Amino acid sequence: MASLVTLTVIIPMIGAAFAMLLRTQRWLRELVVSSSLIFLAVASTLILLDVKEGATIVSRVGGWAPELGVVLVADMFAALVLFVASLTILAVEIFSLFQRRTQFGSDLSITGPILLVLSSGVALAVLTGDLFTLFVSFELILISSYVLLTHQGQPGQIRSGMTYVVMNLLASTLFLVGIAFVYGATGTVNLALLAERIPELSDGTRIGIGTWFLVVFGTKAAMFPVFSWLPDSYPTAPTTITAIFAGLLTKIGVYAIIRFHGLMGFDDLGALILTIAALTMVTGVLGALAQNDMKRILSFHIVSQIGYMLMAFGLFTINGVAAAIFFLFNQIPTKTVLFLSGGLVEASEGTSSLKKVGGLAKHRPEIAFVFGLPALSLAGIPPFSGFVAKFGVVASGVAAQSWWLVAVALGVSLLTLLSMAKIWVGVFWGKPADSTDSQESSLSRSDRSYQAMTFAALATVGATLAIALFAGPIWDMSIRAAEEVLDSSSYIEAVMTE
Amino acid sequence: MIRTDSVVLTRCVQVITPITLLVALYLFFAGHNQPGGGFAGGLVIGLIVVLRMMAGLQQESFARLLTAVGIIICSAVAILPLTWGATVLDQHNWKYDLPVLGELKFGTALAFDFGITLIVVGLAMAVVIALSPNPQSEELV
Repeated sequence: MASLVTLTVIIPMIGAAFAMLLRTQRWLRELVVSSSLIFLAVASTLILLDVKEGATIVSRVGGWAPELGVVLVADMFAALVLFVASLTILAVEIFSLFQRRTQFGSDLSITGPILLVLSSGVALAVLTGDLFTLFVSFELILISSYVLLTHQGQPGQIRSGMTYVVMNLLASTLFLVGIAFVYGATGTVNLALLAERIPELSDGTRIGIGTWFLVVFGTKAAMFPVFSWLPDSYPTAPTTITAIFAGLLTKIGVYAIIRFHGLMGFDDLGALILTIAALTMVTGVLGALAQNDMKRILSFHIVSQIGYMLMAFGLFTINGVAAAIFFLFNQIPTKTVLFLSGGLVEASEGTSSLKKVGGLAKHRPEIAFVFGLPALSLAGIPPFSGFVAKFGVVASGVAAQSWWLVAVALGVSLLTLLSMAKIWVGVFWGKPADSTDSQESSLSRSDRSYQAMTFAALATVGATLAIALFAGPIWDMSIRAAEEVLDSSSYIEAVMTE
Repeated sequence: MIRTDSVVLTRCVQVITPITLLVALYLFFAGHNQPGGGFAGGLVIGLIVVLRMMAGLQQESFARLLTAVGIIICSAVAILPLTWGATVLDQHNWKYDLPVLGELKFGTALAFDFGITLIVVGLAMAVVIALSPNPQSEELV
């Protein structure tokens, strides 16, 4: 099982190399990309089942001891996130498989291999047991995301790509400097050893390190006030790319915050995190209300939902952290499928602007279905998975008696519903717009590529419904993950014992 | 590429090519215990490739092939130990006593380093091609 954990990082990388060699052989290349992703999905499912039954899986790369080498740690939290992330990437790959090279479709000969590098980076970021490998995996993810964002070379993409690159380079530099601080203060970068040594540092150094890494991971997670790069850059990328970014990139930032700050026991940063969380929720949803394009509205919602995860995590209670983990688990497919529905709207109408599209509920009910269910879920309407996630967050807020946070969370929920209604009214109701200018890029319903895209989107909707159905077991796993994150002794024991 | 018919540039590049390759070779093998290694060696080779392309001595680029093969070699070195039950990236060394050269040591790290070299050279080529003014350059990468 330990070797399977390392293979989740290596197999996508080999797949990327072969896909690059087979650039011109379209079907062969897609076969390589898809089978690598299927392997990743199967492997992460096996890992999840194994971790659920037994204990944390630890793999020492090259057989080196944790003090010297790299360890990969698959505990409950990592296994959960890896599982949902790999399934989501697979769904997006199926979605893009039949996509034609239109204005909205990505160039598969470039995105195929790069997507695999990104998957490898995600697997490494989730599994890694030391801070420096976390940095390397962030770079893997970011450098592939630079390519994915700008590979079409359209002016808007290059402009927002600049902001994106500069912002993330800055965060990466801060990350590297932060690692130097941590190493200087403790003499190690291994997370298990850090969990032992950081609580023993003087309060000043400890809080300094905690705040520093909150800024670093927060920039990647798009929390307030360092979120502005996200709604600017995400909508310009091709839909499949935005769907992956929305589902994964920011969530990896949140994952790193929960992992690092939870494991090191930064309870005293709780008040700061809670304030940031409230501001993130409110600014995100207000930004969404001001937009007039489906993809832009959804991009602002990414920011707003990050606030919920931070809020639940900032309480530093078992239930709170479990709620944050459940929310994270639920957000990855939900956000992705919402962007995929945006992609379907673009494929059928040629634009995703609310003013130019209309009446889709009548002549494309399948898109309305693909958008409607996750949108209700995002707003937190029962019986969807979003309700369970939000209920967990609010319940942990009530249990911790942070009434103002609960009020903010509920208010933002209402505003989320309002902006979802705005998309619904603009895109799915009303008169069909006379789309004379977009005829060339629109796909008819009989088109095989349209059918495949709808199928992949529907499958992802099915996955979000399954989360609601299996909310009980997933919640139990989240509780166990939260216990493992907050109680660092189990993590330390798992990593350090042979 | 940028076809300048400068005799000085062309001749100079021709002369320094073998010397640079020798330096790269030295760095590559020195890297096991001293500063150097696959990355540094690859950078030096990459430099000479860039110069040769700018001087018009080399037209074609194998960027894609080199990078892909490099990744495959590195990954293969990482995975192979699994076949005999060791962990990923496990190391193995072989020692030989040769008549003239003395004791010679080979490790699996050498193959890994070679993969890194290929990736770096491929990357250098890709950068030159991407920055060149030739409109058809994308097809070459």
